[in-house]
Amino acid sequence: MTQRPVCLSSLSTLLVVLAHTASAQLISIRTVPIAQGDQFEIFPTNNFGMGGVSIALADTLLDAFVNPAKGARLGAARFVSAPTAYGISRGAGGGRTLPLAAMARSGAWYGGLSLALQEVDASQPPHDGGIVLTEPPLPSVAPVAPAPTLPPRQNSYGNQYAFAMLGRKASGAGLSLAGSALWARLTGVDGVDLLYAGSTGLKQFGHALDLRLGLLKEWMGDRSLEAVVLHNRFAMTHDVGYVDQFWDPGTQQFSVRPRLEHNHDQTNTWGLHLVYVRPLAASGWRVGWLATVNRMSHPKLPEYELANVPVIPRDPGRSSAYNIGIGFSKTRGPAVFGIDAIYEPIWSYTWADAASPVATTLGDTIPVGGKTVENRFRFSNGLVRMGFSRDVELGPLGKAAGLQLGLIVRSVHYRLGQHDNVQAAARTLNETWFEWTPTWGLSLRFPDLEIRYRGRITHGTGRPGVQQSPVFLAGRDAALAAGGILVAPTGPLSLQEVGITTHQISVSLPLR
Amino acid sequence: MTRRMVKWIGLGLLAIGAGCDGVTPPETLPPAIDAQLRQDLQRWGVVPIGPMPAQNAGLVGLGQALMFDGILSGNRDIACATCHLPAQHAADGLALAIGTGGTGLGPSRVLGAGRQFVPRNAPSLLNAGLGPFYLFWDGRISRFGFGPGSNEFITPAGAALPPGLPSLLAAQAMFPVVERREMRGAPGDRDVFGSVNELAQFGDSQFAEIWQAVMRRLLAIPEYVAMFSAAFPGTPASQLGFQHAAQAIAAFQLQALTKTDSPFDRYLGRDDAALTIEQKRGAVLFFGKAQCSSCHSGPFLGGQGFANTGVPQIGPGVGAGAPLDLGRGGLAGNDFYKFAFRVGPLRNVELTAPYFHDGAFPTLEAVVRHYNDVPTALREFDASQLAPAVRESYHGDDATITAVLGTLDFRLQRPLGLTEAELHDLVAFLQSLTDPSARDLSALIPARVPSGLPVPR
Repeated sequence: MTQRPVCLSSLSTLLVVLAHTASAQLISIRTVPIAQGDQFEIFPTNNFGMGGVSIALADTLLDAFVNPAKGARLGAARFVSAPTAYGISRGAGGGRTLPLAAMARSGAWYGGLSLALQEVDASQPPHDGGIVLTEPPLPSVAPVAPAPTLPPRQNSYGNQYAFAMLGRKASGAGLSLAGSALWARLTGVDGVDLLYAGSTGLKQFGHALDLRLGLLKEWMGDRSLEAVVLHNRFAMTHDVGYVDQFWDPGTQQFSVRPRLEHNHDQTNTWGLHLVYVRPLAASGWRVGWLATVNRMSHPKLPEYELANVPVIPRDPGRSSAYNIGIGFSKTRGPAVFGIDAIYEPIWSYTWADAASPVATTLGDTIPVGGKTVENRFRFSNGLVRMGFSRDVELGPLGKAAGLQLGLIVRSVHYRLGQHDNVQAAARTLNETWFEWTPTWGLSLRFPDLEIRYRGRITHGTGRPGVQQSPVFLAGRDAALAAGGILVAPTGPLSLQEVGITTHQISVSLPLR
Repeated sequence: MTRRMVKWIGLGLLAIGAGCDGVTPPETLPPAIDAQLRQDLQRWGVVPIGPMPAQNAGLVGLGQALMFDGILSGNRDIACATCHLPAQHAADGLALAIGTGGTGLGPSRVLGAGRQFVPRNAPSLLNAGLGPFYLFWDGRISRFGFGPGSNEFITPAGAALPPGLPSLLAAQAMFPVVERREMRGAPGDRDVFGSVNELAQFGDSQFAEIWQAVMRRLLAIPEYVAMFSAAFPGTPASQLGFQHAAQAIAAFQLQALTKTDSPFDRYLGRDDAALTIEQKRGAVLFFGKAQCSSCHSGPFLGGQGFANTGVPQIGPGVGAGAPLDLGRGGLAGNDFYKFAFRVGPLRNVELTAPYFHDGAFPTLEAVVRHYNDVPTALREFDASQLAPAVRESYHGDDATITAVLGTLDFRLQRPLGLTEAELHDLVAFLQSLTDPSARDLSALIPARVPSGLPVPR
């Protein structure tokens, strides 16, 4: 079995905020290179095959979902569908989404609706070479009564998404203002079922809400400024079933008893995102700058069970995440090139609350609600996206074929300062890793129809096997941006490297 | 511009290359103590202990009476509770037990004229019924298999052991009455009333006859007949044997002497605040550097194996090895276990001094110091801490010490290197194993027993 200690034989808090890699409105925070399934890639995107380049290059399909004010650029009313499927190698998981969207405009007003149905497979520990690692068998003895009803182990989860957008373009001023709302009913987030090592079943339920107010100002000379204010709320409940072993003096043998735990996973985010784009002289190049601020609070984070990995209890936390970036694009006839470079400084502060008075090494007492462990993270992340596309005319009637190639490289570096107020001890940890994602795309365009295929595969991340049962969430979203995961394992952890492959086929039709 | 583009692409490829060979080596981050400890508990199989089922009230009542009644002893002068006193937490506080013929109770108990110490320490009966595989210091009573149906036992009585004993604890309760130094007495003894000790007349291998004789005594007392009838309804008196008495004694122990609500047990029940920080530090040492858990593991923190821990040899000795005590190695076919004794389960260990098979160490502090450097501790053992009568039987000669060290457990052959602070933390952890309700067992003492003999209290 290939087990790659993916850059963490010791690690610290993991914090993942679901966010779309191609957009920057919601900033992803991670402390371990856990494979993220592309569960929240639920909207059609044109630049997906170009590495998701987006600062200085418009994404004609995705932009309106990211900044509703960009719906002002819509042409005729269109229907779009973009069935998307992702899979994690070594049978570790996957999912499928069927979104349906329609966008239209009437005079100065424009709007859109989208619905998506999704099926997420239950996450599995990676297997290799035909050796399938399975969950540890339950003890053969019967549980003792009384027994709470434990949630069953599910094979798949169903999620539903609804998106609505409405905007108005001020005639003559080049100004557009729009709002959007995305609501998701979630019964499964990819990878969460592996976060509770040793559990016998998990029931997830909750919702996510993403509200955005977008503004787009366009000037003469192809200059534009866009701004997005967003508020994102993610709230999930995890009912986790365990079967605990104990020694039964009555039968004088080991026995088991069921245990049901309720966990809450909540994160609220406020964000502000600005992008300014303008041409570079008359060279065909365009340049754009972006800046984003996210303030995240984590009112409650789950108590994950990570087998073989000591975990510091997690309780509330908060994060301040920023990014600044620059992007270039050049269009030369049918060829388009784009590149984005983004730097993300992030500060996170998390802590563990004392559930009861705790005596410290120094002889004092931490009261109930006091902080027993404090984690302070300082991230310096980098992201480079680049892509190239080339269209080829297939005849005189507007038929064309297109090819896209791209690459995403992400580097994560952070320093953790941890203070254990019980033991009066301080520690530090530095961690770094890279992820790289080749992307590709093909498209066929007819006068009234566009069919696009986009794909990508992400390397450099892993998922825990069953023997190192700890598992972490993956996930991100387009406009969704959801909750987070905060755990603080501090012992050895090995991940089995996996690749995440995503395929999207989008079809765009005019509505008449 | 093209050059700049090439430069960017080059940087991207460089980053890919960096990603291919992983990342920078991670630094070590010591884990939080609870995280470390819970991982240790899992690794060493230290699972919680469930509740002890309520025992039949009739059995418990009969068992309590028998436990405190000297009628079970040949000379009618010693009850089970004499050496397992509630005031001494179901032990006697002595290094070596003093059986029949002795006078007094607890640490002040003294040998009778012409009597010898029982060769080993009387272990506390606290939690003896939880389900260990071995009982007695040399494990001469053992069971094989799991579960309530696994009532097959290996005992010195062999085939003479009557069937139907429900537990190892009940099987164990069959044997103190047959041991001469403990309860049965020597040939020619007369009991406290001056009558002939009929139990002492049997040979040492006449187990069945001894047990029958004890039952004759019991069933001659109408109150006991009534109690047996209540405890075993439907079983005629003619079919009652000492195994029924042993079953009742075991039921009483299970009901009254199971004490598993210690801070450590609450910690096992997922209450992180149940242990103090020094107890947690001690626990991490216990399961780590101090290596205690390599023997003291599982739900009872011991009780499942044997080890030669280099304990000084004290006492009159046992069997063919006398004046030494070879422990389990003295049993036929167990040469490998020379000087090895049962690894005791540790709950409530704070209350059960003195420690080891011969009570060589009076405190937990002394025990952990011994473990910190066993060879040195054995050679430099200070016998002056022993009671004078016991001190005379200390075997501190070089030959004995060399013999003990010759089969010393491999884990103890080198010093552990624990600091004073670590020793202190270890003791703190051991103290966290105490169930507060085990500190005062006086409520278990009956006002009287059916025979009318004095109740040890």
